[in-house]
Amino acid sequence: MATLSLKEWLQRLESDRRFRENATSVTHIPASEGSYAPYPVWVHKGLKAVLEKRGIRRLYSHQARAVELVRQGRDVVLVTPTASGKTLCYNLPVLQRILEEPETRALYLFPTKALANDQMHEVHGLIGELKADIRTFTYDGDTPDDARQAIRKQGHVVVTNPDMLHTGILPHHTKWQKLFANLRYVVVDELHIYRGVFGSHLTNVFRRLKRVCRFYGADPVFVCCSATVANPREHAQNLLEKEVVLVDESGAPRAEKTFVLFNPPIVNRELGIRQSALTPARKIAGDLIGNHIQTIVFTTSRLNVEVLTRYLKDTFRAKIPGRDHYVAGYRGGYLPNLRRDIEKGLRERSVMGVVSTNALELGIDIGDLEACIMAGYPGTIASTWQQAGRAGRRAGHSLAILIARSNPMDQFIVEHPDYFFSRSPEHCRVNPDNLLILLHHIKSAAFELPFEEGERFGKEDLMELLTYLEDKGVLHRVDQRWHWAAESYPADEVSLRTVNPENVVVVDTTETGNHRVIAEVDWDSAFTTVHDDAIYMVESQQYHVDRLDLERKKAYVKKVDVDYYTDAMTYTNVRVIDGFAVRKRGSVIIEHGEVQVSRKVVGYKKIKFYTSENVGYGDVNLPQKDMHTTSYWFTVPWDLLDFLELRREELIDGLAGLAYCLHHIAAMLVMADIRDLDRCIGDKSGEWFVRYGADRRLITATPGQPMNVMENAFDPTVFVFDAYPGGIGFSDLLYERHDELVSAAQSLISSCPCEHGCPMCVGPALEVGPSAKASALAILGLLEAP
Amino acid sequence: MSLRDRLGRLTGEGTQPGRSDPPGELISELRRRIEEVVNRRPVPGPQAHSGRDRTGIPLERLVTGEEVRTPRGGLFFSRSVLAGSHRHGVFRVGDLGHIDMRSAALLAGSDEIAAFEPGHALFLDTETTGLAGGTGTFPFLIGLGWFEGDSFVTTQLFARDFSEEIPMLCLLDELARDRRFLVTFNGRAFDLNLLSARFVLNRMEDTLSNMPHLDLLHPGRRLLRHRMDNARLTTIEACVLGLTRDDDVPGYEIPRRYFDWLRSRDGSLMEDVFRHNRLDIVSMAALLKHLADLVAGGPGRESAHPGDVLCAARLHEERGDTQTALSMYERIAGSPDSRVAISALRACSLIYKKASRWEDAVLIWEGMISRDPLDLFAAEELAKFCEHRRGEFKRAALIVKTVLEGSRTLSPEERSSLEHRLNRLARKSSAP
Repeated sequence: MATLSLKEWLQRLESDRRFRENATSVTHIPASEGSYAPYPVWVHKGLKAVLEKRGIRRLYSHQARAVELVRQGRDVVLVTPTASGKTLCYNLPVLQRILEEPETRALYLFPTKALANDQMHEVHGLIGELKADIRTFTYDGDTPDDARQAIRKQGHVVVTNPDMLHTGILPHHTKWQKLFANLRYVVVDELHIYRGVFGSHLTNVFRRLKRVCRFYGADPVFVCCSATVANPREHAQNLLEKEVVLVDESGAPRAEKTFVLFNPPIVNRELGIRQSALTPARKIAGDLIGNHIQTIVFTTSRLNVEVLTRYLKDTFRAKIPGRDHYVAGYRGGYLPNLRRDIEKGLRERSVMGVVSTNALELGIDIGDLEACIMAGYPGTIASTWQQAGRAGRRAGHSLAILIARSNPMDQFIVEHPDYFFSRSPEHCRVNPDNLLILLHHIKSAAFELPFEEGERFGKEDLMELLTYLEDKGVLHRVDQRWHWAAESYPADEVSLRTVNPENVVVVDTTETGNHRVIAEVDWDSAFTTVHDDAIYMVESQQYHVDRLDLERKKAYVKKVDVDYYTDAMTYTNVRVIDGFAVRKRGSVIIEHGEVQVSRKVVGYKKIKFYTSENVGYGDVNLPQKDMHTTSYWFTVPWDLLDFLELRREELIDGLAGLAYCLHHIAAMLVMADIRDLDRCIGDKSGEWFVRYGADRRLITATPGQPMNVMENAFDPTVFVFDAYPGGIGFSDLLYERHDELVSAAQSLISSCPCEHGCPMCVGPALEVGPSAKASALAILGLLEAP
Repeated sequence: MSLRDRLGRLTGEGTQPGRSDPPGELISELRRRIEEVVNRRPVPGPQAHSGRDRTGIPLERLVTGEEVRTPRGGLFFSRSVLAGSHRHGVFRVGDLGHIDMRSAALLAGSDEIAAFEPGHALFLDTETTGLAGGTGTFPFLIGLGWFEGDSFVTTQLFARDFSEEIPMLCLLDELARDRRFLVTFNGRAFDLNLLSARFVLNRMEDTLSNMPHLDLLHPGRRLLRHRMDNARLTTIEACVLGLTRDDDVPGYEIPRRYFDWLRSRDGSLMEDVFRHNRLDIVSMAALLKHLADLVAGGPGRESAHPGDVLCAARLHEERGDTQTALSMYERIAGSPDSRVAISALRACSLIYKKASRWEDAVLIWEGMISRDPLDLFAAEELAKFCEHRRGEFKRAALIVKTVLEGSRTLSPEERSSLEHRLNRLARKSSAP
């Protein structure tokens, strides 16, 4: 069978009428010329020769500027596109300095082990050709014990990740004396990844790093790289807590790329149901792979990776028998060996299609793919460009297709191509002084070096926090110094990335006497993905969860082959503890402050493959989880709502629909993952909440008791809150941007083509009720009225 | 609102704005929950030795010792001398210092030590605020020991608070300068590592790390582990040194005792810890004596455990001293412990073979086969001998065939290797 090249394939596609109807934008990004500058005069001859041998005869203009700034000892944040030679901006000045002063040390931080490994190979290559005695090592959880000592003493460039710095390096800094005493450069790549919880932790890790450096008399220069976001310089300064120079004018030439925004067809106008993004993703990917065009498909959840991998494997099993990995899934939770095999398969083109979560978004070396399909908006414009960049990093023409899902954020993006292509409206936020996060790091810092009277760490009153920890018996004070006085190792008590560092291990018990661990699930996901009777999927194999043992942190599963998957249902309620700020718009009260959130997984739905039919329900009995966090909310008094002459149920539906819409828009505005924020409607007492049952919505007072208590004693309130204990700082931003949120919701809902509400505006009509859309618009009218 | 209140609320404790503080009995519950959030670990129950409410007994009344001053401050210092006639388990203290230094060097894997005398040894063991390692683990008690004539001296340096760390390290440095090499039990991975970190943290020179070091854990494990469940010092004491400890403070309790001491200054909390540490030091001296005798093969060789001797012989062989190894193997070749005897015989035969002492080697192999015709090792060796050195193909084939047909325990690889040999022998014996 003759196959099409990508160019031919694109021509065929663009002449396809149905494709043109659904493509909201086809943008050809032409190749562009670069802007260049000569090597600075100070560059070592040997180094220059090695770089020239690699074809780098001159620098891009941004590279020249960055290396000069770093050379001058300025802290820099570099924001240029994928494949614009960012690594040279730090490798050149670092290697130069090591050649001049061989004692010099540098620390490279990458968000993942895989990226660290890749980077190590690159530096290694340079050094190999340089024939200089410069040693580069990765140092992470996989580094063998016997190699560690040599790395600590001899490594000029130590490549690691923030987690290892946090648990493995800083608490053992005396072994790293040589590194810290001579530390001149700290390189932080993928800076935009460090936002929200992760970024708040990392800021504290940097506080600890700088504190340890001060002990050894070092004051390193920070070189950061980031994807395009709205506030790279501000974000870098928040993370590093020092002045940073921004370099953001790329001098790199660009390869040609076609970027398509695609909105799947509406299949039910009345319900506002569009085709699932997975359907066109499957068709397009199948067609591309069938034409030997190597393709990566990004989906937004682990579940979708499994579903889509299964679909594509089904397609190719018949066509290309015996090649089980012709199409592969790839996500966190797969064991490392399997992942290495898939990465290798991609580089060698034995794997022609891969379906991944954002695990492959960053620069893991999988070679140059030709096409990238994003089944669902990755959540930020920055991530979208990074994912799109996986196709054609160095190759010629490449293709990226973003397929919208039926949710407000996706719809907004594909329907507003200008917004997508012209700006970077996303802000990175961190809240390093979140008390819980701060306290964890103060403990770790005290473990590293005793605190002294008058020292500063973060923006809260350190002395008060130290006294608090002293009262807890964790610190001991003597002679104006606070010493760590506990047996534990505090860095192990907190993970930088998730709320709870615990994992649940998934054990396959299909074969008696041969139990195997097949995956790990983080603690919070465990409640929704491996509860009793859930269907859990790995590499598109289905497993039935026989039992989730929370105490032993194990889920016991057996292989099954069923035609459905499961989706967990949860309820949430919120109680206000303290308001920080309040203002009124008419009689609507807008506030932000501290709240207590209680959440419980109550059941699950069984959903049929391909048709997405609901084919059953089940109960789940897991403990309730409480969380204290910060929230933004607004309250609409009953007497105002009464003007609308809607039934109470309709009002509740309207509020729920509005909350759905606001949650999505809020996440887009503050560059939060949709899961970093959550929503709830209730009143401020936490005494009633809305339960989404198998049939309809109930307003209940106590969990588990389905009684309708529609008293006038409460006022309906919509909460959008930080989904992390103590909050990450989104709430005050949302409070400030309340008006913007309301008008975006108004424009999204009123312009949505559906009749009664759909996933693109207020949520699916079948879930939020037939009156949700009309009610939500009516309520928005009240909110906008002065 | 105070930070403390904010922290309290982050735990999800049910206080509401405007409400009064929780009543007294709730406070402990609140504290427990803050603790959980703060520590992410269950809080241990009340300790048997919570010193808070006790009337503290001064340390000096319970432990022989006193405050000493250094230029950088004071610390508590204890010294005791065990006379030569004192018994530690099955050992007389006066005998402990008679160590063959070549054997000690062999145990350490370091030739340097052979040049020293037993009196140059500095035994060292620390008690710490935890086992986690890292810069936040504090060695608050440093026990040292050395031989002085017929006696054994132990000294203990105790930091009564974190502020006495520098004086403690100064004194350690001074005492260490009088000795030439270190003897520890797991010091390489633990005690020395920790002390090294403390020297760096206090910006002091680390003399200890440069001293030659005999860590008894590794030779102890190597020579004795075969007959013990684990290689902990207390296990070795019970098994080998003939010592059982009564009322010894369990190691896991020690950090908590020190934290309680910091608050209460109750000497009774530390009394047991001092004794525990001193016993560890003396036991290290006894263990060194035992292990050195074992590898020296000197006096007491009749009573030595044949399994230990086997391990010692292997150690010699590995380090290139074939002669000593052979004499040890020969000594236990007739051991009633058949597992040990067979291992020794095999090892002997291989040494003979390497030295081309064919008659001696063949004698062993034939002996082994006459006892057990299915002995794979002896059969293979003898078959090789017959085939390659004697050209007795038929005899070799018979030996191999016997094993192939009789043995039920051969692995697939062993079987195919034997079959391969048998085929070759068949070809050779039918050739003209």
